[in-house]
Amino acid sequence: MSLLLKNKEGDKRLLMGNEAIARGAIEAGLAVATGYPGTPSSEIIENLSRISRQAGIYVEWSVNEKVAAEAAAAASFAGLRSLCVMKQNGVNVASDFLLHLAESGTRGGMVLVPCDDPGALSSVNEGDARFFARMLEVPLLEPGDFQEAKDMTRWAFALSEEIRNFVVLRSVTRLSHASGMVSLGKIPRGRTQAQFRHAGALLDPESGPMISCLPGAPQFTHRRQQDKIRTAREIFETSPFNYYEGPRRPEVLIVASSICSLYSREAIAMLGKAGKKCGLLKMGTTWPLPEKFLQKHLSSAEKIVFVEEVLPFLEENVLMLAGRWTRGKGPKSYYGKNSGTLPSYGEMNPDLIAEALGKVLAVRRRPVRPESFAAKAGAFADNAAPRRELTFCPGCPHRASFWSIHSALKLDGREGFVCGDIGCYTLAAFPTGFNSLRTVHSMGSGAGLAGGFGRLRAFGLRQPILAVCGDSTFFHAAVPALINAVHHQADLTMVILDNRGTAMTGFQPHPGLPVNAMQESAPPVEIENICRGIGVETEIRDPFDLKGTRDALLSFLEKKEGARVLILRQACSLSPEKKKKNSFKVRVDENACRGERCGCNRLCTRIFRCPGLYWDNRKQVARIDDVVCAGCGVCASICPAGAILKEDAV
Amino acid sequence: MNIFGPKELMEDVILAGRCTGCGACVDICPYFGSHMGKTAMLFPCTIARGRCFASCPRAEVDLDLLSEKTFGAPYAEVPVGSHRKIFVSRSGARIGNANYQAGGTVSALLSFVLEKGIIDAAVLVDRQEGLPRPRRITEPQEVLSCASSSFAAVPVISELNRAVRDGYRRIGTVATPCQAVAAALIRINPLNEDEFINPLSFIIGLFCTWALDLRSMTALFSGRGLDLRSVIRCDVPPPPAEKFEIVTGGGKHDIPLQEVRDLTSPACAWCPDMTSEFADVSVGMLEGSAGKNILIIRTPFGEEIAEKAREERYIVLDEIPPEQLRNLERAAAAKKRRALLKLKKEGLLNTAGKGKRACFRLRPEILEKLIG
Repeated sequence: MSLLLKNKEGDKRLLMGNEAIARGAIEAGLAVATGYPGTPSSEIIENLSRISRQAGIYVEWSVNEKVAAEAAAAASFAGLRSLCVMKQNGVNVASDFLLHLAESGTRGGMVLVPCDDPGALSSVNEGDARFFARMLEVPLLEPGDFQEAKDMTRWAFALSEEIRNFVVLRSVTRLSHASGMVSLGKIPRGRTQAQFRHAGALLDPESGPMISCLPGAPQFTHRRQQDKIRTAREIFETSPFNYYEGPRRPEVLIVASSICSLYSREAIAMLGKAGKKCGLLKMGTTWPLPEKFLQKHLSSAEKIVFVEEVLPFLEENVLMLAGRWTRGKGPKSYYGKNSGTLPSYGEMNPDLIAEALGKVLAVRRRPVRPESFAAKAGAFADNAAPRRELTFCPGCPHRASFWSIHSALKLDGREGFVCGDIGCYTLAAFPTGFNSLRTVHSMGSGAGLAGGFGRLRAFGLRQPILAVCGDSTFFHAAVPALINAVHHQADLTMVILDNRGTAMTGFQPHPGLPVNAMQESAPPVEIENICRGIGVETEIRDPFDLKGTRDALLSFLEKKEGARVLILRQACSLSPEKKKKNSFKVRVDENACRGERCGCNRLCTRIFRCPGLYWDNRKQVARIDDVVCAGCGVCASICPAGAILKEDAV
Repeated sequence: MNIFGPKELMEDVILAGRCTGCGACVDICPYFGSHMGKTAMLFPCTIARGRCFASCPRAEVDLDLLSEKTFGAPYAEVPVGSHRKIFVSRSGARIGNANYQAGGTVSALLSFVLEKGIIDAAVLVDRQEGLPRPRRITEPQEVLSCASSSFAAVPVISELNRAVRDGYRRIGTVATPCQAVAAALIRINPLNEDEFINPLSFIIGLFCTWALDLRSMTALFSGRGLDLRSVIRCDVPPPPAEKFEIVTGGGKHDIPLQEVRDLTSPACAWCPDMTSEFADVSVGMLEGSAGKNILIIRTPFGEEIAEKAREERYIVLDEIPPEQLRNLERAAAAKKRRALLKLKKEGLLNTAGKGKRACFRLRPEILEKLIG
C-alpha cells in the first residue's frame, strides 16, 4: 500500500516534500486534484494519481493550468475539497481565472499549490509566485519543513472553508524534492456528496450563483473578499506555523520563510559564538502578515535580516508595516535584498546567509556569491563524473529533428530562424540542438511569436519563420496561437515535436494520448485532426527519416504564404514503451571510418554528438558506447562514409 | 596550388558572393549542401586543407598550373582558350531529332561516348517539375530527355561527387565554364591523395555568359503566371532578338532579355570564361544559323572522340566561316576582359602577402595582354 494511504496515526515516515503535500491533502479528505506537469511540482499529482482508485479521488492532468484551476474550482463549488498544483509559471497561465475566483470565493476547501524554482534549475525563469497572493488578495502559506508541508496543507483546506476562499500554499524546489521525516496524521473516512447549489440569492455565499464581481458594484463581492483576508490575518496572529527561536534579545533578528528557515538555522550554527547573538523568526503565513505578532518580535532587536527566495516579498511587506510602527518604537536597521546584503536572484544557501549575518554582526568571513556554491558542487562533481554539457539523451528524437531543421534552414539560406518553446527541446538553443532556437519564452509563445513575425512581410521581413512545440505544449497553449496565425494569414511553418507524452516532466499523459492521469483509457484528441480542422496543411513524418524530414521542411519553407504544420512523431527514447528496447544494434566499421580526414572530420562525435558515440583517440575512429546507445540508428544515416552500421536488434 | 579549407571557402567564395553554385564542394562531405541553386555550409568544419577548397573554381585557381596539367602548356592568351581545332557541327544521321538546343552536338557526343562505353555515367542537367536539377544517366537513350539548356545555376558537380561515391570511375559531364574548371581541378588530384583515381573521362563544356539562380527564375516565371512545372525548355535566340524564350506545354512566351539579365547570379560577373576552356571539347550556338553548333576541340582525347563520332556519323563537322570565328573570339575576349578587370580592381588576381588569397592566378604578362 502506498505510504500516502497508511492510516496509522503518529507513524513516522520519510517523505519527499511533494509526497508530504499529497499526504496532507489526503488527510484533509481531498476529493479532486488537478494540475499541469512542471518541475518541481509534478510528483504531487503523480502520487495522488497512483492512489486515486483506492482513495476514491478524481485526479486529472489538465490541458493547462487555467483549466486545472477551473476544474478544481468546480469541485469546490460543488462542496468538495480540491487541490490544484502547478509550477510557478503555471500561476501566470491560471491567473486570469484565479483573479475572478478570488472574488467569487469558494465553498469546499480549495488549495492552490504553486512550486517555485529558485535558481531556475528546471525552468527558463525563476518567477516568485508569492506576489500573486497579494495581487489576488488571498492567503499565502509557506511551509518551512517536511512536517509542515503535510500539516499546513491539511490546515489550508480548513482555512479555505473558514474564509470561503482558496488558499495558496507555496513550495520551492528544495522543499518539494528533498525528503524528511514526517509524522502521519489520520485519514478521514466517508465521501462528500457533490452538489452545486445555485438557486439562492445572488450574493448568498452558500447557495447563490458563483459570479466574481457584479459590474460597477465592487462594494459587494470585492469588499467581501477583503473581509476574508482580514479574517485570515486575525487567524495568522496566533498560527503555530509562525514562531521564534533564539535569545530573548537578539542582536540580529532573522525573518525567514519556507526552506530558508532551515538554511538560516544552519547559518546560525556555522557562525558559532557570533550565531548566539542571532534569533530566527520563522514565518509560515506570509500574506496577509500578522502585524501584531511581527511587531512584538521585531521590537526585540535593532537589526533585522530578511532571508527568502527569490524576491524581497516578505521583506517589503514587513517594511510596509514597519512604516506604521516608527512612532514610539524608533527606527531599526533592515537588511535584505533591498540593502544589497543578500542577492535577489538564484537560490539561497547557508553560506550566503552566514556571510550576510557576518556583515551585519561585523564578523569577518570569507565572501560568498551564489555562484561559488555551484562552483564548489561542480568541483566536487568533477572528480566523480565526466564533464558533460547540456545534451539530448541518446536516441532522442529531438536531436534528429533539429539536425533536419538546422540543415533545412542553412540550405534555405535566407536567415530563417526557429521560435522555441518549453520542453526538453528548449535545449536546442544550445549546441546539442545545433543552436537552432532563437527565441524562448513561455509555453505556446513559440507559435505566438512566429505568428507575429509571420505578419511582417508588409514591412520587408523575408526570413522564413519556424516555430517548434512539443505535443503537450501544443495542447497547453499553442492551439490559440496557431488559430490566430491561420486567421491572420501569417507565414510560418510550425513543427510539432510529438514524442508521445509530457516527456520532460516524466511522461504524464496529455489529451493526445489514449490514457488519463488515473491510467484509465481516454479518447485521444489527434493533433493532426486539430491542425487540419483549422485549415492548416499538415504533414506527418518520422524525424528518424532525416532526408524525408529535411525535404518536407524545405518544401514548406519554399511556400511563401500561409501557415503549415509538420508533425515529427517519434516516441521519447526514455518513454516506458521504448526504454531499454533498442531497435538496432549499432557498430562502427573501423576500416571505413574516415575520422578526422577530409570528407568527414568526425561529424558524428564533433557535430551530431549523441552520447552513445565516442571518439577513440588512440585508434582515431568513432565508436559506439554499447551501454549508452539507445539503438535508434540515426547516426548510421549521418555517417558520410557508411562506416556506422545498424542491424535489427534481436 | 594554394589550398585551404572550408573556413576560407566560406569567407572567400560563399559569403563574398563569388559562389557559382557549381556543386564542387557539395556531397564530397556532409558539410556543404545545395538548394535552389545556392550552396550553403550546414555545419562548421575545421579542416585546414580540404577538397571543397581544392575543387572550387573561384578559390585560388592557378590557371597556368591547371592548363599545364590539362593541356601540357601554361594558360593561353587566346580568347577561346587552349584548343586544337574549331568546327561548325551538328548531330549526324545516327541521331534522331529531339528537343535540341541548336545543333544537337552535345547529345550526339554524349550518346556516342555512352554507347561505346567510353564513359559509364554522365552527369548533366535535367528538369524535375520544371526546375533544373542535376541528373546522372547511364544509358544512351536517357540523353535525349535532358537535351536542353537550363540557363540556371545547377550543382552538376555535386552529382559528379555522388557518382564517384557510388563507384563510377569513367564519368562524363556536360559542364558550364565554372563547372568545367571544377571538373578539371578534380581531375588533377589537387590534394595529392594517395588513393586518388581520376574519375572523369570526358568533359563537354558549354558556352555560357550568365546563369540565373533558381529562386530568381521561379519568381520570374510565377510573376508572369507561368507554371514552372510546365516548362519544357528556355532559349535565347541570337541578337538582335533581345528576348528570353520560354516554351511551356501551353505555348511560347517571351521575356525581354534585359529583365532576365538583371536577375543574373552576381557570381557570373567574375567569370572570365565564356567557352569552357578546361573541357575536352566545348560546344555553343552558331549565331545566325539555327540547327548548328560551334565545336571547340581542346584535348587530344577530345579530338579522338570527335573524329570517331564523325566517322560513325554521330556528328557532322564543317569548317567555321572566318567571320563566325571572329565573332566568337570577340565575344569571348570581351567577357574575359570585363571579368579580369573587375577581379584585378578588387584585388582578387595574383594576390600576394601573408593570409591574402586570390580568386585566380596567372602570369602577369598574359594578364596584361588579356585586359590590355
